[in-house]
Amino acid sequence: MMAMIFNFLIFPGFLFAAGAGLLATWLDRKVTARLQYRVGPPWFQPLADLAKLLGKEIIVPEGVSRSVFLGAPLFGLAGVTLVSAIIFSPAPFVGDLIVVIYLLMLPPLAVIFGGSASRNPLSAIGASREMKLVLAYELPFILALFTVVLKTHSIMIGEIVRYQNLSGLMIGSLSGLFAFAAALLAVQAKLGAVPFDLPEAEQELAAGPLLEYSGAPLAVFRLTRAMLYFVLPAFLAVIFMGGGLDPWFMLKYLIVLTLIILIKNTNPRLRIDHALRLFWGPVSGLAALAFILAWLGK
Amino acid sequence: MNILLWTIFLPIGASLLCFIFRRAAGGAALIVSAVGLALGAKIFLAGQLLSPLLALRAYPFSASLYLAASFLTFLIVLYSLKFMAGKERLGEYYGYILITLGAAAGAFFATDFLTLLMFWGLLGIPLYMLIGLGGDGAGGAAKKALMIVGGADALMIIGIGLVWCLTGTLRVGGALLPLEQPLTVIAFFCLLAGAFAKAGVMPLHGWIPAAAESAPAPVLALLPASLDKLLGIYLLARLCYDVFLVTPNSAVSFFLLALGSLTIMAAVLGALVQHDLKKLLAFHAVSQVGYMVVGIGTGLPLGVAGGLFHMFNNAIYKSCLFLCGGAVEFKNGTTDLSKLGGLAKTMPLTFAAFLIAAFSISGVPPLNGFVSKWLIYQSLIELSKINAAWIIWLAAAMLGSACTAASFVKITHAVFLGRSEAKAREVHWTIWLAPVTLAALCVVFGLGAYQLPLRFLIAPAVGLIGLIGVWDPLLAAGLILVSLSVGLLIYFLGNVDALKTRPIFAGGEELPAAGKVSGVDFYDTVRQIRPLALIYRAGEKRWFDFYELSAALLRWSSAWLVRLDAKIPGIIPWLRRDRAFKIKLLGALIAAELLVEGLLLVSGVREILTGLAALAMVAAAFYLAGRLGGSYANE
Repeated sequence: MMAMIFNFLIFPGFLFAAGAGLLATWLDRKVTARLQYRVGPPWFQPLADLAKLLGKEIIVPEGVSRSVFLGAPLFGLAGVTLVSAIIFSPAPFVGDLIVVIYLLMLPPLAVIFGGSASRNPLSAIGASREMKLVLAYELPFILALFTVVLKTHSIMIGEIVRYQNLSGLMIGSLSGLFAFAAALLAVQAKLGAVPFDLPEAEQELAAGPLLEYSGAPLAVFRLTRAMLYFVLPAFLAVIFMGGGLDPWFMLKYLIVLTLIILIKNTNPRLRIDHALRLFWGPVSGLAALAFILAWLGK
Repeated sequence: MNILLWTIFLPIGASLLCFIFRRAAGGAALIVSAVGLALGAKIFLAGQLLSPLLALRAYPFSASLYLAASFLTFLIVLYSLKFMAGKERLGEYYGYILITLGAAAGAFFATDFLTLLMFWGLLGIPLYMLIGLGGDGAGGAAKKALMIVGGADALMIIGIGLVWCLTGTLRVGGALLPLEQPLTVIAFFCLLAGAFAKAGVMPLHGWIPAAAESAPAPVLALLPASLDKLLGIYLLARLCYDVFLVTPNSAVSFFLLALGSLTIMAAVLGALVQHDLKKLLAFHAVSQVGYMVVGIGTGLPLGVAGGLFHMFNNAIYKSCLFLCGGAVEFKNGTTDLSKLGGLAKTMPLTFAAFLIAAFSISGVPPLNGFVSKWLIYQSLIELSKINAAWIIWLAAAMLGSACTAASFVKITHAVFLGRSEAKAREVHWTIWLAPVTLAALCVVFGLGAYQLPLRFLIAPAVGLIGLIGVWDPLLAAGLILVSLSVGLLIYFLGNVDALKTRPIFAGGEELPAAGKVSGVDFYDTVRQIRPLALIYRAGEKRWFDFYELSAALLRWSSAWLVRLDAKIPGIIPWLRRDRAFKIKLLGALIAAELLVEGLLLVSGVREILTGLAALAMVAAAFYLAGRLGGSYANE
């Protein structure tokens, strides 16, 4: 029991994922800054930002449902925390791959409900974009992950890791590589990173669903986003490159994160209909191709 | 009198009282449905019961279905007391609800195809009448429902006849037929039509969205949302495992999986673009059946368990959603999404119940809808050992689930969150009690999935199910609570004392009073994507509506025949003006009909009598349809 609480709250659960996630967002900001010939922030900047937000007053828009407006951020945090505890557990713990896919829906749903509750027209537009983005990336994400299931014959994450330890990494095969590429783009969208930052689109929607948020609730949203920066690439690394939480694994994680940062810094923001077409067309096609190759044993 | 007979004849008898004493109808219906619930509990606890008269039998599976049906009927009658107060034709309303309950009991407990057919046919009449109560425009919808359901009943008669020819018995489960010969397959599809029309599987779904346009919310919650699903899926499960043998990797299994996946995706895409609350929910009432058909169609115990569990879950959350929709309509006088908004603050209990049911139908863990979907997905993954098509069914089911979430985001935004000047107050407790109870049940069935529903409702029917995944709802819920407290802790680390309320920020400009995003056009982008745009346009022209298609075909062919008859006079016999010839033709048709019936029904006196009764029921249903349809359809 104590071990479980420790796993859940400290390592590899909440605290570890939060720390690693904050560092990941720092790395993202630093690399982006260097690419734009800026100096970039010091390593503790994301944490300092959170601390600053905690000190700010909390402003609730007039006439909103406070329970939804203030409760939504908490549910997003709960979803990502639970996933961080599940994906590194070698023994069956709480849930399998399907459960993880569904729990990963909680952070976007939290943003959507929060934005919708805030009654701002720009937030509503942002929320609808976020939901459409979910619809868009869900299809290739599912196809890519179940390509791995087809190859490993299991939906238990521990089993998928064990299979890769015995028979080689997923990404080493052609089908695994294609599936990884499709899943990577889905993760890019799940992170709301450029080119898929259209729900928040600062220039048009002024942060969209988060527009009315301030103080501690905004800090919780930011923390959730930071944790996703660790959990999602790590999830991809576990599924496609094997797990283990050792220095090797951290290297794999950094490779995935670097890819995400590179995509982010080399692409302009897409329009929502283009994003839908991209994910349901070429990206899903790539994932389907991966599935067919896996079925043929490639 | 046998307790099983009570479940049938008490409500049907009481319905007569409702027709006569209209003032006391509500109270009487409440008492009778409460007695029905008590009887349901007693039968459920007893396990096995028999009644020689009408050849009824209760066993754990049918007993659990009747328990669910009587429970939902009781809640919906309670809800109706205030909701329907002051409406016209109340005596009929409660009377038909009671007939539905009695006939449903008969259909659940029947061990004999003819008894089943009799009650199945009887169910069509209250369905027709209840939908017709909706006022303007309800007549057409009611007629559509009766045509589809009644037509499927007629196919069932043929199917039952074929089964009798093949096995020589009319007992349900008297002999297990492998689906090999063409005749067996025809019989299967004929009977399947009855189950599918009742449950609303595509392409026999058209009556559900049509009914939602005018029928009162409790009628929708009772019939298309819950009771008809229980009945249809019950019949489907019995057909697939007690009468015929559906094995994994068979052509029939493939057909069921394909039709189920199509129903999920097509109906949910329809739901995404609706702009009326009740109609949007009706499309989900169609879409959700797809999951049950997929689960049962796998032919694996895991899938059947998932499908049946989903049937119970769907009955709970879908009636909850319709009842919440009704409460919204009751207080605001409209279900038009563009006219509603901001009700979360003024109707908090309705909102809470709606939100839980909406999360449940979207499959958000740890609620009940997630568990049954999770079981179905596992059974599809089990199929990976057989062929590669499983990924299509799985992707349709999971993407359908995301689309379901999307359409409930739309409703929640348009009705409860978002902006509006609505000043509606919370409804009377008899109206919110039913949805709140059902929402609580969603949570209980989700958290205690293994301890309660799977153990008591599903295991007796399906037996052992081998899970291939892991899901621990109680642990998950505990951990979610822990992380929620961590989040709250962060809130309290923050500057909570400085909580302020300010007007919303719109770029520093003053927002016009009507400046809101109603949410109605949230998914117009999806609608405009190229291949989907074509499908949507075809859908708006009703190309996927079996009923409209057949009506169009009928109009087209009759026009063509009339033209032919004008060219070559007398070639189409029934267009002749010769009266004596018409009578002769009719006589010949009736004689042929009687001959066929007689050949089918020579197995004994009892069967003939029950069979004639069933035929009379169906005929009466059609007669009533003709009479009342005529009086409604003056358009």
